[in-house]
Amino acid sequence: MARNTIGLVLNAHMPYVRHPEYPRFLEEDWLFEAISETYLPLLRMLKRLRQEQVPFAITMSLSPTLCTMLSDPILQGRFTDYLRLHQELGQKEVARCEFEDSECQRLALMYLETINKNLEDYFETYQCNILSGFRDLEESGHLELITTAATHAYMPLFSEYPSAIGAQVELAVQSHINHFKKRPKGFWLPECGYFPGLEEYLQNEEIEFFQLAAQALVLSEEPVQRGNYAPVSCPNGVFGFARDFHLTNLVWSNAEGYPTDPVYREFYRDIGYDLPLDYIRPFIHEPEVRVFTGFKYYAITGKGNDKQFYRPDIAKKRVQEHAENFLYTVAQKGERLAPSLDRDPFYTLAFDTELFGHWWFEGIDWLEAVLRGAAKRGDIAFETQLDYLAKYPESQVLQPSLSSWGEGGYSDVWTDGKNVWMYRHILKAIERMEELAIRFPGQSSLKQRFLNQAAREVLLAMASDWPFIIHNGTSAMYAEKRMRNHLGNFNVVYENMCKNAVNTEWLVKAEKRNIVFPDIDYNMFNLNSTRNRYNG
Amino acid sequence: MITPNIEALSLGELRYIAHKQGIEDADMMDREDLLEALEEVYEESEDSLSGEGNSYSPSNQKRFMNTLVEHAVDIFTGALPGVEPLPEGYSETRIHLLLKNPYWAHAFWSICPQDLHKLDQAFDSFSFFLRVTMHMSPDQRLPEESYDIDIQISDSSWNINLPERGRVYSVSLYYRDPEDGVGLLCQSDTVSTPKSYWLDHAPKLAEDDARFSLLFSSLVSKGGVMVENPLLREVVERIDEQVGG
Repeated sequence: MARNTIGLVLNAHMPYVRHPEYPRFLEEDWLFEAISETYLPLLRMLKRLRQEQVPFAITMSLSPTLCTMLSDPILQGRFTDYLRLHQELGQKEVARCEFEDSECQRLALMYLETINKNLEDYFETYQCNILSGFRDLEESGHLELITTAATHAYMPLFSEYPSAIGAQVELAVQSHINHFKKRPKGFWLPECGYFPGLEEYLQNEEIEFFQLAAQALVLSEEPVQRGNYAPVSCPNGVFGFARDFHLTNLVWSNAEGYPTDPVYREFYRDIGYDLPLDYIRPFIHEPEVRVFTGFKYYAITGKGNDKQFYRPDIAKKRVQEHAENFLYTVAQKGERLAPSLDRDPFYTLAFDTELFGHWWFEGIDWLEAVLRGAAKRGDIAFETQLDYLAKYPESQVLQPSLSSWGEGGYSDVWTDGKNVWMYRHILKAIERMEELAIRFPGQSSLKQRFLNQAAREVLLAMASDWPFIIHNGTSAMYAEKRMRNHLGNFNVVYENMCKNAVNTEWLVKAEKRNIVFPDIDYNMFNLNSTRNRYNG
Repeated sequence: MITPNIEALSLGELRYIAHKQGIEDADMMDREDLLEALEEVYEESEDSLSGEGNSYSPSNQKRFMNTLVEHAVDIFTGALPGVEPLPEGYSETRIHLLLKNPYWAHAFWSICPQDLHKLDQAFDSFSFFLRVTMHMSPDQRLPEESYDIDIQISDSSWNINLPERGRVYSVSLYYRDPEDGVGLLCQSDTVSTPKSYWLDHAPKLAEDDARFSLLFSSLVSKGGVMVENPLLREVVERIDEQVGG
């Protein structure tokens, strides 16, 4: 009987959105939705499995910007407000549904119960910093925490700028050390964006492995021996694990994935959009910006607008069926592959964490059922990439191919007609940052802070989130504003430093606004500078 | 009613909000006057909001709408106050080439005013063109080739077709004078398009079912949808041709 190992990689990332200059800000809800619908329920589920001694080990990437936001007292306070607001809405909904919509009352009670659990966990278990929950699971050996690029930059488009790539990797590791007190051994490439040579930067920071898009090995210049069922060693010794598109697509497909099942909860039917404005106004963004509240009462049902009420009991059964189907598919695949492989297959399954719980409401339940089901079987195990490398330290040496998991498998998403104009300005900012680092090396005091802020702004402008959001057409104006303003902020520093001046008032405000990367050293944009390795 | 943190806003942003609040002569007001006027507006509405119940209660708290980025209005973002208006180009003669995929790259350039002035001085008229160069292969078996694209003087970017995979490309910006003389203005760094073993050896896969399954079983979904990728598609097409032939 083949033994199948699944290397599950969950990528948790949010773009850096923090607006202390406003009492409340719409786009901060992205973070709050992720915490309440994905991260807190995921932590509860994983801890439950641990408590019951269900064996599992998975890899999770927590991006530097996400970690910064999760640790930020202002955002922690706002999330508390968000939870209390939703608790109030839940109480109101329970009361309304009792008289108006009894079918929904059970669901309203279900959501209210989750919110109450989230409140309890957030305050009592985690003291408002949920990173401790992930750290705890890592310490017990159930999670391997890895990092990703400092501002989630899509790196192939910056491959001609070693200082920028180096900064993204170095600051990511620095951030990880600050939050988790250890060097990460793995690296999540944003959007699985890989270019040949990227592994050199990873090796400089003692990274041992990273993940690749599904086609990266099959399309390499030399033939891959084991397909995507084993990692390869880049020529410098860093390992690359390619995703299994076939197994991933069982889950992550708009057309045929499990989440599209008609009995599962419909994401887009939300009382934030369905109920009268007078009722919902206190709970959305003023004056009439309707938003998702998380109170959703309908099942997917079908493609049309006629939806049936959501039935959690029926969905629960379907979750179990889908979990069993998944495990069955993995086992069957292992049997078919056995004659062609000289070792047990390792399947790399990589997902955005927010798929589970937020986009796919039943996703966390499904994950739990899969982990439990695998534990009961003898032929499927969830292990980390490091577990695999400990077992099989030798792998085929192969240079992966240029690749990404974006549409088309390359850089089209981030260079389409709507967003490609950005690079003219971002690349110019990088060049100017290099110029500043060379012209003003080893500064101290105010000038150092000023230059560090410039480096922060360049890195924030490089985030892949902005062109991605513009490509998708959601919150496009916000994304464009962000990118422009980061470059504008950079230009403030550049123009002042060209006159050898520091704008202290501006600096103090800018530092308060963008508090990310407190230990940044602008000298990293000078490739010839000698700096000490950061170890926390 | 909404209450922005008006102290944090720039003069332009304050004027924008003041207009929205219907404050007359906002354009004439200085910062202090605007702050005073807006504070009066917000104080009036606070009185109508404050209600009963726990002061902590979220529905009694102030809310803010991001008034400066309209969510459903078709406005050029760069024209909004508080949004950085980036320049059209930079004062340098430079061209960049970004690889989009194995068959397309995006070139963008700028020409510094001094260089344009020199051309104006030197010639009665001139035009620009891009030269796309496919460099000689490292083993020198494939020669250098190039093709030209005529562009307008006002152009600053172009999507460039890359006719052959696995080659190294660059793009250069040239001028052409009235006597058909040409001059190089700038050249980009090179980009390399990926090579793939199986593109050149697809027939082997056609004859080796086990190897084909090993490679493609992780690339095709349960419903028969393959990873979206032009090179993979080409591999499959070549295999199909081999099998069909």
